[in-house]
Amino acid sequence: MSFEHDLLAILPRLRRFAASLSRDRADGDDLCQAALERALKARDQWQPGTRLDSWIYRIMRNLWIDEARARQRAAKTFAPAEAGEHVGHAGDRDIEAHVHLTDVDRAMQALPDEQREAIALVLVEGLSYKEAAAVLGVPMGTLTSRLVRGRGALIELMGEAA
Amino acid sequence: MTDIDEAMLIALVDGELDEVTRRRVDRAVADDPALAERLAMHRRLRERLAGHYVPIAQEPVPGAMRVLVEESVRVVPLARPAQRWRGWVTGGAIAASLVLGLSLGRLTGGEGSQIGLHDGVMVAQGALAQALDTQLASAQGDSAIRIGLTFQRKGGGWCRSFDGSVAGVACREGDGWQVQQALPGAGQGRAYRQASSSDARVMATVDALIEGEPVDAAGEAVAREKGWR
Repeated sequence: MSFEHDLLAILPRLRRFAASLSRDRADGDDLCQAALERALKARDQWQPGTRLDSWIYRIMRNLWIDEARARQRAAKTFAPAEAGEHVGHAGDRDIEAHVHLTDVDRAMQALPDEQREAIALVLVEGLSYKEAAAVLGVPMGTLTSRLVRGRGALIELMGEAA
Repeated sequence: MTDIDEAMLIALVDGELDEVTRRRVDRAVADDPALAERLAMHRRLRERLAGHYVPIAQEPVPGAMRVLVEESVRVVPLARPAQRWRGWVTGGAIAASLVLGLSLGRLTGGEGSQIGLHDGVMVAQGALAQALDTQLASAQGDSAIRIGLTFQRKGGGWCRSFDGSVAGVACREGDGWQVQQALPGAGQGRAYRQASSSDARVMATVDALIEGEPVDAAGEAVAREKGWR
């Protein structure tokens, strides 16, 4: 019982994390729904006593990265195989099409994926560096340098508004 | 002159500094208006960003998501399938590594053992040794073993994290790979890599061993080219 109970309790935050990664709210909800389905199917892999939210953040983030890579592959049919590793700013993002977005949304979308996910986990979801590094599967030093670069870029993008 | 860098200011805003360092940054900020302005800027950024996303977490969750979770209560029987690892996973990583090391032969029997004991040390063999030797994280196809991070350890030498039926970290010793840690992995043969609770412990091991940052795809390829010397 407690698995579902805990899951319902953290749903609003999971949905927020999905929104901060995604292009718009509809994409965010699709991502969140997909992550929930994965989590429910794989529930036996979650170990009681560990953080359920971190576990699902990680599932969600992996889904999101997979999708971003698929989109990049589709966009660059002739790119060498190794280019798939450099998941950065997706060139196919049509930011101009989303005219209703706020400055914050726009700035977040302009960030390279690796900086956006770090910023979302620490600044929006309030995870500690250690927790966020574990979710992303990177060492602490990598996380902190992404946070520094991501913040610099956000301040530049949001200008005075920051 | 000040030795307070951007990362320290940011860590202060994120509540990640220990007490001593925090006081040091506070003092430097009090003496330096430019530094104080940068700190204020980082605080504003964090507040603005967090504030921007707050309303989403306060909205009612869409019915479809709620139903998905609630339905699963009714569908899934209360008695869960036995969890292979539950018994000893809670016993601590070190004990786990030892137990795992001894029982690996049985666990991975079908495909040949991935880890063997040589003079009391766990070493990679079979498919795991091959993956560590040759597989690039940037081109794994649907290999049963996934290579994670490749990095230089303190004191020199290459280490790589891996995940499959077993997850952990191995470091180059001579012509082989010494397994530093072995935990239950996320599984194998899946195109999509499921999150496993071992991840945090593998990352803790990486953090303890690593010098600098993990290499990128190009660095990984060069290291392989040079035979991990």
